[in-house]
Amino acid sequence: MNQEKKHKVKDIFVEGPIDPTFIATSVAKHATRMDIGAHEIFLGQVRADEHRTSNIDVRSVIAIEYTAYRDMALERMTAIREEAFTRWPSMTCLHVHHSLGVIPAGQLCFMVFASAPHRMAAREAVAWVVDRIKADLPIFGREVLSDSTHVWKVNRSVDPSGRPADR
Amino acid sequence: MEVLLFGMIAEKAGTDRLQLNAASVAELRRSMSERIPGFEQMVHVIAIDRVIVTDDRPLLGHEEVAVLPPFAGG
Repeated sequence: MNQEKKHKVKDIFVEGPIDPTFIATSVAKHATRMDIGAHEIFLGQVRADEHRTSNIDVRSVIAIEYTAYRDMALERMTAIREEAFTRWPSMTCLHVHHSLGVIPAGQLCFMVFASAPHRMAAREAVAWVVDRIKADLPIFGREVLSDSTHVWKVNRSVDPSGRPADR
Repeated sequence: MEVLLFGMIAEKAGTDRLQLNAASVAELRRSMSERIPGFEQMVHVIAIDRVIVTDDRPLLGHEEVAVLPPFAGG
């Protein structure tokens, strides 16, 4: 296996929302790779969840402010990448980006992009990597509500297999 | 030692760094409770040198210590 592909620590964090044109550019960059036959992409978007304390007191999420324990997150991401390439050895490449800072509702905050010769490896790897990132990376989300108050986002409890329940 | 705080725990503490002395993770949790109101009720894990540890882990004083609330990535 390509050692550089496996062990390089990559910074996954980007300041602000992920621009949809960046995704198109990322796909285009793979046009020179003639061994790729399939791309699979997961995109996470900030949802305007409603927080309801009564029938008249309904506040919706207008943005999420993400922070992270960067060094630990990147170490864990490196381990997740290595395990993904072990589980799906045919995978050609894996790109992960996660936003930090204030991301308004409706904007993209998370991208997992895998390529492989055939679709199943890319598809399975993306699903697995998304679950692992949600469960294992020390990333924190402050949900800013429409009345300027905030609540802290918590990923739904993780089941014993380490899989987030909110799939 | 310097303790890094994140998310809702940093908010509650009013800072993202605390100076504390502790010889074990259990002792660290007790010091945190004295410094941060309601800390016992806050769901958290402790990471030493970026690895999550349990209460019996000894501390020498030069480690990178962090207190982490529930994760919310994605």
